[in-house]
Order: sequence, then structure tokens, then C-alpha cells
Amino acid sequence: MNYKKIIIFSCLIIGTLVSCNNNSEHQNEHSSDSNQASDSIVPVIDSLLDTDELSYTLPSPLQIAYVFKKSGAPFIPSLLNDNQRIIQYNTSNYKRAVNFGIYSADLAYCIFNKKNQESKKYLKACQDMGTYLGLNQAFEKDDIAKRFDKYISNEDSLVKLVSNVQLKTDILLEQNKQKHITAIAFSGAWIESMYLAIEIYKKEKNNKVLASLLEQLSLSEVIVKALKKHEASEHEISELIKAIEKINGQFNSIASVKNIVEKEQEMDIDKMPLTDTEFKVIDETILSIRRNMTN
Amino acid sequence: MKTSLKIIFSLSLLFILVAFQTSNVLCNSKELKEKAKSKLEAYKYDNSELTKIIYKNKETIKEIEVSLFVGEKYRFIFELEALPKQVEVQIYNKSKDAKNRKLLFSSKEIGLDKKEFDFEISKSRRVYVDYVIPPQETGSYSGCAVLMVGYK
Repeated sequence: MNYKKIIIFSCLIIGTLVSCNNNSEHQNEHSSDSNQASDSIVPVIDSLLDTDELSYTLPSPLQIAYVFKKSGAPFIPSLLNDNQRIIQYNTSNYKRAVNFGIYSADLAYCIFNKKNQESKKYLKACQDMGTYLGLNQAFEKDDIAKRFDKYISNEDSLVKLVSNVQLKTDILLEQNKQKHITAIAFSGAWIESMYLAIEIYKKEKNNKVLASLLEQLSLSEVIVKALKKHEASEHEISELIKAIEKINGQFNSIASVKNIVEKEQEMDIDKMPLTDTEFKVIDETILSIRRNMTN
Repeated sequence: MKTSLKIIFSLSLLFILVAFQTSNVLCNSKELKEKAKSKLEAYKYDNSELTKIIYKNKETIKEIEVSLFVGEKYRFIFELEALPKQVEVQIYNKSKDAKNRKLLFSSKEIGLDKKEFDFEISKSRRVYVDYVIPPQETGSYSGCAVLMVGYK
């Protein structure tokens, strides 16, 4: 076999394999657009590239809100992100995903405070943002709005309904090879939950709310790790990582946290003091990140 | 020149062979996750992770770091029916790189042939789920495992 033949043969092999992979991605794009996502058949190339030995799971926005609810934080409607801003977020996948997460956190906050009308508004906001992300199927298949109305007075049923939407969203994003969207959306939800905790703490000075904030802050490290796995997927992810690394650095600089880490002890969040200066630093960082996400 | 072309050709061939050998990775995430969801019972869905398992000629470990809230009750559901060969599931308090980590659960306790099982935990901020993938001397196998986390 001469060189030319070898080169042509090698190129054909590589070309075929790459085009197979591209085809599956195009199919995913198409299925995402038309909401016809088929069952997930993990492509051959994908398995070949799957060398990651460590992965991460993050809690759902609903669970964060559930834990936050236990702190006794009151409902302050003015803190919610304006649900009329949806259209202005339809500019990039990053913007759509991060605000999908923010509205998910607001929806969960409304549900656990039994604010039915607000819950409906934020469900609609999530649904609309979800549509921009190609997630219609997660909301429409079970006619979510009608079922939401049916269960509106039953918190437990509502939580189950929204949990189910979360599962469908996770499956769709996995099928469409958009797991980075899950990580970005979670970051948005996490920032929103901490923003709510910070603003409520500033008004109420409730130590349980502060403990809940610290508990949420402790997730910063794993969020950075999860985002780093998808750094190449959207160019804005690098900036998001830097912002969350900043929060992580500030959390680890809290004297009580530093002390526990140095002694390799388990954190007892309820007993960890936070000085006004430490709080102010974190407050400013989170407000700035949230402003960037929502504007 | 001749040597480098031979290398390119060999690598391409190897790539094809490996690709075809691992082509049995067919994971229906929707089906597996819906099955796992039905086992959550009173627990509400929190998150889930589909892990691709490839059996190699040496033992390998795939690890999932699971973030939890202290004081909450959790149920982990494992759905392993899309695995062609047994895999041991271990749960630790620290990652595989840490010293002095404590084993909280091993699927050996309930029998490695079990394709579905659960594990309940509370009072933890973080746990590490390890899939211990045994070596395969002959043939090439791959599959998928699903972990689903529920809370109440």
C-alpha cells in the first residue's frame, strides 16, 4: 500500500467516525429544537472519550429551598427576580440556563411559602425559559399548568409535581448532551437562594437564616468542580467559575471555617460565627454576581 | 515519513477496533431513571447521575461525589440492570484519594448479583459513591449505572 492510499484510508476512517459523532450531535440539536428528544443511546465516540473517573451530583433548587424554609425565613416578594424579564434572557444558552435556575429557585421559594399566585407566575417563567432551552417536553407532556392548578393547595403534591419536572429536565439535558446546562442552571439557582438568604438575614438578623446561608456556601467547592468539567461547553463558564471560586475563597477565609478545616473537623454550621465584615464581603460578591446574571 | 504514516494507520485501525468493541454501550437513561424513580417511594426526587462503565483489563473505580445537607434524610437508589457484568458499589465518607476513609456501605453486603437496591443516609454533608469495576481479561464489555438521590 503506498503512502497516498494510507493517508486517504486513515482520513476516511477518522472522517467517518467524526461525522458519526457530528450526526448524533446534529440529531440532538434537531430533537432539542423540535422537542422530539429520543431515548438516550450513548454514542460510540462518547464512550471512547469518557475517561472521567470522578463526577458530581448537586442538590435540586427545590431541596435548597426546602432546607431554607426550615430556617423560618419569611416571604419577601420584592426579592424575586422580575418574571417579565424572560425575553431579555433569550440571548445565549448561558443566559437562558442561568436564569432558568434563578426562576427555579424563586418558584421553589414561592411554593414552600404557600404563595399560590406567585408560584403559578414563576412556574410559567420556568416553562418559558425551559422552552428557550428546548425543554418543552418536560413541562408540556403532563400539562403541567393544569396539574399545578389542581394541586395548588397541597404543598406536598406540588413539590412532587415540580420534582418530576426536574427529573424530566435532567433526562432531556442528558439525552441532548447538555449536561453543562444543568451545572449552569444550578449555579443560577444557588446564587438566587443565597441572595434571598442574605437579604432576609439583613432584615431579620435570624441566625437560622445565617446558618442556612453558610450551609449553601459550603457547596461552592463542588459547584466549581462540576462547572470545570464543562468549561469548554460555553465561553461564559470560565467567568462563572472565577466568580464562584471567589465565593469559595471568601467562605474558606471565614475564621471559624478556617479553624475547622485546619483541625480537619466536621463543620457544625449552627455553631459557626460569622463577623459583620465577613458577611459584608460575601454579601457584596453575591449581589454582584446576581446582578450580572439577571441584567 | 514512512514510520509516521504507519503510526497514523495503526492508530486509526486501533480506534476503529476499540470503537466497535465498545459499541455495546447502549444506555436508555430515561428508562433507567424512571425505573429508579419508582423506587423512591416517600422520598422526593433530588438528582441523578448516569455513569458509563467500561470494563478494562485492570480494576478501575468510577467515583461520584454526592453533596447533601446535614440533617436531611436521603435515599440512594441504584439501578444496575444495564451492566453486563457485576460491579461492586461502595459508599465512603471521603474520596478515593483521601487517607482514613470510612466504608459506609458495600453492595457485597446484599449480594453483588442484585441489580437494584437502595441505601439511606442522614447527618452527612458529602459522600462518595464508588463503582468498583472488575478487570476483564477476555472480551470487551461496557454498560451504564444509575444513581438516584431522593430526600424527605
